[in-house]
Amino acid sequence: MNSDISIVALSLQIALVATAVTLPLGMFVAWLLVRKQFPGKFALDVIVSLPLALPPVVIGYALLWVVGTNGWIGQLSESIFGSTLAFTWLAAALAAAIVSLPLVVRSFTAALAGVDPRLEVAARGLGCGPVRTFLTITLPLAYRGVIAGVLLGFVRALSEFGATIVVAGNIPGRTQTVPSAIFTRISAGDTDAAWRLALVSVVLGIVALAIHNWLLKRSANGIDANQPNGRAG
Amino acid sequence: MITFDIQLSCPGFSLDVAGEFGDGITAVFGPSGAGKSTLLNCIAGSIRPDSGSTAIDDDPLFASDRQVWVAPERRRIGTVYQDGVLFPHLSVFGNIEFGWELISESDRRFDPFELAEFFGLGELLDRKPSEISGGERQRVAIARALATSPRLLLLDEPLGSLDAARRGSILNYLKRVHTEFEIPMIYVSHSISEVVSIASKAMLLREGKVESFDRPSALLLGAAVAGGDIDAFENILDGVIGESTGQLTTVRVGDVDISTRHQNKKPGDRVVVSLGANQIILGATQPENLSARNIFKGRVSEVWSSHEMIFVEVDIGQKFIVELTENALNELGISVGNDVFLVFKSSSVDVFDA
Repeated sequence: MNSDISIVALSLQIALVATAVTLPLGMFVAWLLVRKQFPGKFALDVIVSLPLALPPVVIGYALLWVVGTNGWIGQLSESIFGSTLAFTWLAAALAAAIVSLPLVVRSFTAALAGVDPRLEVAARGLGCGPVRTFLTITLPLAYRGVIAGVLLGFVRALSEFGATIVVAGNIPGRTQTVPSAIFTRISAGDTDAAWRLALVSVVLGIVALAIHNWLLKRSANGIDANQPNGRAG
Repeated sequence: MITFDIQLSCPGFSLDVAGEFGDGITAVFGPSGAGKSTLLNCIAGSIRPDSGSTAIDDDPLFASDRQVWVAPERRRIGTVYQDGVLFPHLSVFGNIEFGWELISESDRRFDPFELAEFFGLGELLDRKPSEISGGERQRVAIARALATSPRLLLLDEPLGSLDAARRGSILNYLKRVHTEFEIPMIYVSHSISEVVSIASKAMLLREGKVESFDRPSALLLGAAVAGGDIDAFENILDGVIGESTGQLTTVRVGDVDISTRHQNKKPGDRVVVSLGANQIILGATQPENLSARNIFKGRVSEVWSSHEMIFVEVDIGQKFIVELTENALNELGISVGNDVFLVFKSSSVDVFDA
């Protein structure tokens, strides 16, 4: 049981760090995709979405190249910390972030697209700078979709297995997450212990998705409708 | 004073306009797609023109040859949009206060509470924009723009989404804002009636170019010819309720007492009167034995004629614009300086709260 708790704790830690990366990055990418016209927009959309279409193992393998001894991130971290990121919990967090980014960007894109851009133009005209406009107008109007996207990204990061096991391994106490621990236990025939963690995954997933769907349903129902005009007249 | 010289081209549309607007109310007028709103957006800074310049007094906002570009939030120009574009997550007061909070104390000319009172919003401060009427939303939008102490107020079809009764009210508020707060305004509209009622000068745009820049009434024919979405002309005038007798109520407009249908209003109430230019009969001699309750003697002050339409402006102590056919004009031999009589029914006059 003690090891179960530390496995869940490490998984949560990795998923939280991954979310801390995808939240600002995903917001910036979604904002670019929704509000800006620029050359390469289509390519950016494809690249960000690519992890959805690739086997996670491929992403893990690619990441291993980048963070390993030969990759530029690997060399950078080796010169600073004296070791590469490969087979550390940070590598697991990075893998989880990349795999969950497309889901986060998609949710954020939908949330931002639901905010009437004229509200932002109006705010600017009232003396509000672009960053403050985003924080006081856009974000408060998109917050349900944003929180939903964060939750979706978080559960995706929690359940990440394929990329993580390639780039971070399955080292108990260091990089072993809930999915990789379940895999180990199934391989070892320890079905009771595997079921315990599987149950934890199911509960976490249900809670997060229930909140996610509730938030999106509320905005779809038009409560706090994000329209400059409610009824006519 | 605002000066601009703006060139902008996008697929299927180009704008090339220059002008100098004074401190009064200037209208920018023309059919849909003429570039009215685009011009306004260029002045507000939400669209950057390809080339040209814009300045308020001697303060440059945009000068392509000197790489000057002032961001919209630093221009101190207030904008009121057609449907308000209020912030839906903020209360009425939150909307009014939004821009006020962002300017330095020394620049604040108005108190947000006083603005709310001025626009009759005192009871609605805690409501959300979705919980108030269209006319109320538009008043909030004007108050919100004024709260930033703007150097210039841009009005982009501010009456466009309102019904006739509320249009008169907002128009009246805008006139009061101009006289009491002395803020120059640019008023964009496709309704020549509104333009004649509120503006001292008007620019007629068509297909991204300036067609004319003159007194608003001088644009009547051009407006009529531009056709399409331009309504029949209405004389929109401020009035004050007078006596009510039987089925009639008198409304004082300028120096004239007009008979209207009975109004449930007290003497002294401020109203807006609307009378279609095609609802007025013009007589060369004193008409007798008519059922019409309004017969006034006046003098023709202007005639605009083309093959499509003829408008005559008659001063009876208040200027009214009358629409005539070519036959009528020729038969009556009407020209500037003639004494004529205006005749219209009390039921032709619409009276709205101001």
